Amino acid sequence: MIHSLFLINASGDIFLEKHWKSVVSRSVCDYFFEAQERASEPENVPPVIPTPHHYLISVLRHRIYFVAVIQSEVPPLFVIEFLHRVVDTFQDYFGVCTEAAIKDNVVVVYELLEEMLDNGFPLATESNILKELIKPPTILRTMVNTITGSTNVGEQLPTGQLSVVPWRRTGVKYTNNEAYFDVVEEIDAIIDKSGSTITAEIQGVIDACVKLTGMPDLTLSFMNPRLLDDVSFHPCVRFKRWEAERILSFIPPDGNFRLLSYHVSSQNLVAIPVYVKHNITFREGSSQGRFDLTLGPKQTMGKAVEAVLVSSQLPRGVLNANLNASQGTYTFDPVTKMLTWDVGKINPQKLPSLKGSMNLQAGASKPDENPTINIQLKIQQMAISGLKVNRLDMYGEKYKPFKGIKYMTKAGKFQVRT
Amino acid sequence: MPYLGSEDTVRELRRHLSNPNVQSDPLRYRSSILKVIRAMSQGVDVAGLFSEMVKACATVDIVQKKLVYVFLCSYATLNPELSLLVINTLRKDCQDPNPMVRSLALRNMVNLRLPSLAEYVEQPLSAGLRDRAACVRRVAVLGWAKLHNLQPASEIDAAVVNELYGLLRDPDPVVMVNCLRALEEILKEEGGMAINKPITHHLLNRLGQLDVWGQCEVLRVLQRYRPQSESELFDILSLLDASLVSPHPPVMAATLSLFLVLCPDLPAVSFAALERVRGPLLAACGSASRETRFTALCHIQLLLRSLPGLMGAHYKRFFCGYAEPAYIKQRKMQVLVELVNDDNVAMLLDELRGYCTDVNADTAQAAISAIGRIGRSYSDQCLQILTGLLGLQQEHITSAVVQTMRDLVWVCPQCSDTVCSALEGCEETLQDSQGRQALLWLLAVHGERVRSAPYTLEGFIDGVRGEASPGVKMELLTTTMRLFVCRPAETQDMLGRLLHHCIEEETDMCVRDQALLYYRLLRCGMEETRRVLGGRRSEPSLGVLIGRPAEPISQWASSFNTLEPLKQGAGETETTGRASPQHVTFDLDSDLSDTLNSGAEELDYVCLEERIRCPAVPHCSPQSLQAAMQLVNIQTLAFTAAHASPWRVYLYTHAQQAARSALILGQLLYAGEDEDEDEAGLSEGPSPRGREEEVKVTLKQRPRDEKALQGFLSILTAVLHTLPFNTH
Repeated sequence: MIHSLFLINASGDIFLEKHWKSVVSRSVCDYFFEAQERASEPENVPPVIPTPHHYLISVLRHRIYFVAVIQSEVPPLFVIEFLHRVVDTFQDYFGVCTEAAIKDNVVVVYELLEEMLDNGFPLATESNILKELIKPPTILRTMVNTITGSTNVGEQLPTGQLSVVPWRRTGVKYTNNEAYFDVVEEIDAIIDKSGSTITAEIQGVIDACVKLTGMPDLTLSFMNPRLLDDVSFHPCVRFKRWEAERILSFIPPDGNFRLLSYHVSSQNLVAIPVYVKHNITFREGSSQGRFDLTLGPKQTMGKAVEAVLVSSQLPRGVLNANLNASQGTYTFDPVTKMLTWDVGKINPQKLPSLKGSMNLQAGASKPDENPTINIQLKIQQMAISGLKVNRLDMYGEKYKPFKGIKYMTKAGKFQVRT
Repeated sequence: MPYLGSEDTVRELRRHLSNPNVQSDPLRYRSSILKVIRAMSQGVDVAGLFSEMVKACATVDIVQKKLVYVFLCSYATLNPELSLLVINTLRKDCQDPNPMVRSLALRNMVNLRLPSLAEYVEQPLSAGLRDRAACVRRVAVLGWAKLHNLQPASEIDAAVVNELYGLLRDPDPVVMVNCLRALEEILKEEGGMAINKPITHHLLNRLGQLDVWGQCEVLRVLQRYRPQSESELFDILSLLDASLVSPHPPVMAATLSLFLVLCPDLPAVSFAALERVRGPLLAACGSASRETRFTALCHIQLLLRSLPGLMGAHYKRFFCGYAEPAYIKQRKMQVLVELVNDDNVAMLLDELRGYCTDVNADTAQAAISAIGRIGRSYSDQCLQILTGLLGLQQEHITSAVVQTMRDLVWVCPQCSDTVCSALEGCEETLQDSQGRQALLWLLAVHGERVRSAPYTLEGFIDGVRGEASPGVKMELLTTTMRLFVCRPAETQDMLGRLLHHCIEEETDMCVRDQALLYYRLLRCGMEETRRVLGGRRSEPSLGVLIGRPAEPISQWASSFNTLEPLKQGAGETETTGRASPQHVTFDLDSDLSDTLNSGAEELDYVCLEERIRCPAVPHCSPQSLQAAMQLVNIQTLAFTAAHASPWRVYLYTHAQQAARSALILGQLLYAGEDEDEDEAGLSEGPSPRGREEEVKVTLKQRPRDEKALQGFLSILTAVLHTLPFNTH
């Protein structure tokens, strides 16, 4: 199915290749380079490029192109999903998935790719199982390995592969039994000029860190499960039970895993946490423009909005900006025309504002488009959709575990048009 | 890739590897091998180190083994003789008590890809099929497929195939899926593995145990199965229902594809399935991965071909984000065009207007032509936006707008007044040849209505010496000729200069030939010229009507979940709309009816002739007629202008029947009061109430189905009677 994989960096160098069937020459990537040259920006390279004898399906993550070479007709979603899985695994192993990290860990990368695919077919992609086959490198282990000469390859076959529950190994033991769940929501929204919402949706995940002895059977119930209209589960969750009772019942994998991810897309349910008052104008025939921006909290259920970062790509004609921030600092890069304002926490009593003037290139005509404002923010202890965990119970084991739930809201692609 | 200093690197590495001191220290030995692998991944040719690496293979250290295997698998084909040395070590490893070592050895034995080693490999592979550890069986099963790939000509061992079929019942789900994959590859020439009822049901029952990849594989293989009875089909469908709304896009797509293949005769079931996947598909459109979003969009486009209303309420999901890549934006616009209706048109156009000033020229162009497409149904609003865009005086925007206007005018001639007044003055901002060709085309067709047309042309003709594009020159010739026909006084002089230049100085053969043709045409006299050039301009009330009818699902079902829909768009944007319509002379009345009537000569083709009393029809406007017809799913092909005589309408419909879809072609003919008997040979004598109020209906169908025809006729009659009487 997947013939070969090439890793290509932004400047167009192949820095890693792996072949599962016969060896495909590097020259096949020339078609990719052609497309890369044609695309004005790195992300504009089309994901599927047909060549006379192959198809190239590529995924761009962390400024690296993962290019799969395909020889016959395949379901495209399958290949794309698999490539993303590869990147996720790398990220999981090395913390970051950069060219440097991959080059430093080239051996682990080859081992992983060898385990993940055989003859072009996906083999072991579950990160729990992979981690037992090949231990992820840590600083401590790298040091110990260099001194003692031991390796990062598991000596024994992972027991998980033989156990009844394929994602959990048998014989787990902990002195402190604990289970933590993080509910993290990202809000994607486009707000128009007048402040009304054009589109808004919430992408949420529940990440879990479960360290429990034995074979615990957990059930997790929500106060308002109807909120979740489109949910994707870890394979451990019993789907029948969710459909019937809206309860998550599962034997968890050991360690960190993503229990579920969901979308909330019906607009009336999506609360917008901040509002922006803006006045950005350019006058015809003058080389001055006005910039006036005020932020305020909107629907936050009394929680503080933190780590606010505002960025905006100003029109090409702007030479520089003379602004005054009531709070935080701002920077303007005259080359890329990127204005960034690090606001920090929003104080509802004294709303942060950024005011001043912009200097335009003399003689240039008025820019025909107002800039878009991107906002990043964080709200602790709240899930913006209103999702709440009701209770967590454990069956099958005798001890009493420590349980913890944390909520957090972030802005994903949050744009305000002006 | 040539690599500077690779000679030195290889020499250095060889020195390290063959140093006995290094070899005795496992840590240093391994790190030297690591260096070799690193050099290999950077593209250095390290094939020369093969014999040293073969020696390093005999070790107990698993990591070192893995590293050496990576090396050997890449270079074994260059050194078949030396590779023989490795096979012994590998065979010994196949007996190792650790299943991981066994599977590793087995996998790499086949991965050496040396046909000469096949005889040594078969025995361990057979043993591997019966191994206790599942991971060895997984590798062994695929090993057979790889072995077959190595020697595609060799005969297939029936015993092995049987054993593989048997392993489909293996307790390990991955072994089962690998068996499927291996059998598919080995039996490719026989059309893949046999899928019978027990195998199908076994696979379906184990679907739940498989991972995402396995599920996709099983669903794909099952497409070849044909259920024996309807009840079995519905059993299968209900088993698959859960994976239809699977949160994993690949599984969802594979399931839908299987649904469509399994029930081609049950459109209701297929449509229900499409409704079911709407949620998951929309979710995939909002996925974090750009590539998934793109693929989902392409598949939504496929679905919309059959169910145009599927996404109507969700049109906002297709608005473009600021930082999205161009290819997604362009697809989203194509989808938006499909979703436009009376309620959202204002909002959609407002949104598209915003995209027209995108930094990326391609995206801006796509947005402008999207507005043009919408303009076919909502011309006023769209023309207002397009004219506004001309005011920006941006080079690429103006070019795209002029091209879009050209396309729009061709289908909606009623827009021509607005377009003509907007054209003035935009020749200064036009730089590229496509845009200028479009402008020239518009001047040719509507030249008499653009006041400044001769001056614009004069500018072009003065610059013809510096003109590089032959396309523009040919268009310029035609335009000047056509303008000469309608405004001879202003154009005569410049036409002369242009013809002189093109015939005497031009080097491009096509341009010169066309100029010569026109020159000779002019010598034939003005009448002849006018007849050849002043041919068809699209009549407001005439022309093939747009508004695609819904296609049957079977049209695209086979390309669902393949690479096909992802490629299509790219090809389309290159070919469509980039060339000006040809200035063809084309006498519509005779041509069209001739071609349509030619079939009537066959005896049994005309199936039904009937007269309907309906005074309003010949006088009503084409738009209202078309709208009324579409309500009952009758599509109009073409019609003559109102009040023309004889007045004709051609229409067709698909009769929806379970067994087959039958196409009915129809013609409405109103011959007028003063028709003479011969020409209307179809009528059989005047009716008492006066013939002028009757419309003659001719229906054609093959094979003839009397019931369908009568049904269609009664619907048609009912529609015609509801038409308003339009007196002007």
